Amino acid sequence: MLTGSLPQGAPEAPATGQETRVTARVAELEKRLGDPTDEKNPVSYARLLEADEAGEISEAGERVLDEAVLNADFVPREHGGRLERIDTLVRVMRQVFRRDVTLGLGYGVTSFMAGVNVWTAGSAEQRERLARILLDGGKVSVAYHELAHGNDFVRNEFAAKDAPGGGYLLSGEKQVINNADRAAAWVLFSRTSQAPGSRSHSVVFAERAGLDAGSYRVLPRYDAVGVRGCHLSGLHFDDTPVPADALVGKTGMGVELALRAFQITRSAVPGMALGAADTSLRTVVSFALGRELYRKSVMDIPHARATLSGAFLDLLACDSLSVAATRAVHLLPDQTSVYAAATKYLVPKMLTETMHDLSIVLGARFYVREGEFGIFQKHIRDLPVLSLGHAGSAACQATIIPQLARLARRSWFAEDPAPGALFRLREDLPDIPFDKLTLASGRDALSATLVAAVEELPSSTPEERAVHGIALKMMDELRQLQEASLALSPENRTALASPATFALADRYAVLLAAASAIGVWQQARFGDDTFLADPSWLAAVLHRLARRLGQQPPDLPAAVDARLHEEVLRRFESRRSFDLYNTPLAG
Amino acid sequence: MPASLTGHTRESLTTWLTERIALYLKRQPSEIDAAVPLAEYGLDSVAAFGLCGDIEEDFDFVLEPTAAWDYPTVHALADHLIAEFAAAEGGAS
Repeated sequence: MLTGSLPQGAPEAPATGQETRVTARVAELEKRLGDPTDEKNPVSYARLLEADEAGEISEAGERVLDEAVLNADFVPREHGGRLERIDTLVRVMRQVFRRDVTLGLGYGVTSFMAGVNVWTAGSAEQRERLARILLDGGKVSVAYHELAHGNDFVRNEFAAKDAPGGGYLLSGEKQVINNADRAAAWVLFSRTSQAPGSRSHSVVFAERAGLDAGSYRVLPRYDAVGVRGCHLSGLHFDDTPVPADALVGKTGMGVELALRAFQITRSAVPGMALGAADTSLRTVVSFALGRELYRKSVMDIPHARATLSGAFLDLLACDSLSVAATRAVHLLPDQTSVYAAATKYLVPKMLTETMHDLSIVLGARFYVREGEFGIFQKHIRDLPVLSLGHAGSAACQATIIPQLARLARRSWFAEDPAPGALFRLREDLPDIPFDKLTLASGRDALSATLVAAVEELPSSTPEERAVHGIALKMMDELRQLQEASLALSPENRTALASPATFALADRYAVLLAAASAIGVWQQARFGDDTFLADPSWLAAVLHRLARRLGQQPPDLPAAVDARLHEEVLRRFESRRSFDLYNTPLAG
Repeated sequence: MPASLTGHTRESLTTWLTERIALYLKRQPSEIDAAVPLAEYGLDSVAAFGLCGDIEEDFDFVLEPTAAWDYPTVHALADHLIAEFAAAEGGAS
């Protein structure tokens, strides 16, 4: 290996088993799903829009995913499935989300979220049973939510009471649960003690088969603004008996288990949904190239062109953070708590803003529910479900806030940088260490990558100097964040902190995204992907993130803009994804 | 061995914890009953990690982040700290 002489990046390793498998899987799904713009294709945008209008999940789409046994991607290889890495799962699911968020969520991703709890703490028998259900095509719901308590789920009331003859009696309601009506099993976050606090809940894995059908019922479906085909409903139990071995892990472990599982799911889901924003950019590029205004194509209008390049940069920035967070699950499991929360906070927020910017270019077409650009309005309605379900933006910030002071004191400017492997997009990783995820560690090697980069980054070309200049300002920003975090009063270290403290969590998430992008470029610098190896994209991503922080970085070299525009066009014309992976697409 | 681990009593730690938690919750220390679970006052599960971070800062002693979950009242936590501090000192000597 040449890594000794090239400390900042390694030559791209030849594709190995994991990379071969994920590339093949992504290509297989794309082939099965077919050209989304061909109206004769049963899973084209046109047909998916019809299903959405009817409030149904696409039957044809579910059939294709059944045929592909997509559920296998949620089951670890040791249990007969295909799950080996979180970042590769994101790449697979991105193919589904780029076409239809309803299918991504409704087919699927909640079965994965439910499964993580069982893979983490379930018995060998529970893991075996769950694997069987999923590999047979069954769905599993994850039921944390009770509307009355929102993200304050420690107050949840749904109970698993001790049954007189052993086992538990399920009692109460869970609301807004995806696939509650048709799941073969539910993972239920249940109160097992009346005492207040974080040791009073447990996780129950209840299989529908064998339950006393007279004692529970499925509640009516919710009619939502987006993901209209998803089966969002609820469950009501009236002392429904479940056996003692339905308990996942130990009694009282529920909150801990939930927080561990969130580290995986919050890292993963935003990157999956990035596919919908990718499609939206493609849709608007198509519009901009085809429509003429003021005797020019929309693409020649500087504002429109800049908006499209900006959306591309947002996708690259979000993907960088997503890659770092998902690979951290494998490589830095003791640090994943803050990265997962930062990803779940920042990526949906940035993508929502990107969609808004794109809608302005699309103009009145954005309001049309059908036709060539109709998928855009569907994606713009569907995407917010990402920040609403699972963990709200503020709940993610509230996970970061209590950790800021400790990170500031112990880690920032003192930690070694993250290993290069964190940012090597296609490199193999060890198994998912479900048992090594730590609730709060006070360590952060990702921001240390930013600090180390200021010393390491080259500065021979104008683009490299632009990168270096902004990285330096970002490091100053981290210094300010450290000072502000050390100065936080105790009342600002909880979920009831001041808005200014929530703003600190926002700035920190942006810095982590910047550090991730720098890491990705450092590793791609000597690789085969000439676009990623070029510092232009990094300079532009950092420039955009710096402006997000309220900084006023100097204008970028003019060649950067041209380079980005050229790449947007190249990827559009060659049917490639607008993320870090430059994936070939069916259309 | 940090000197900060020695000389604490249940009373001194109770006072420290009560004052700190009162700040977290924007209440007066006199309002915090040392026998009532902290969650009852609205200290959420993640904020409890912050409390463990504060203990680490003031006493230079690393605590499991879930300590405030497992010892959910001021008294329980104070007793736990006394035991942990004593164990740490014993281990160091």
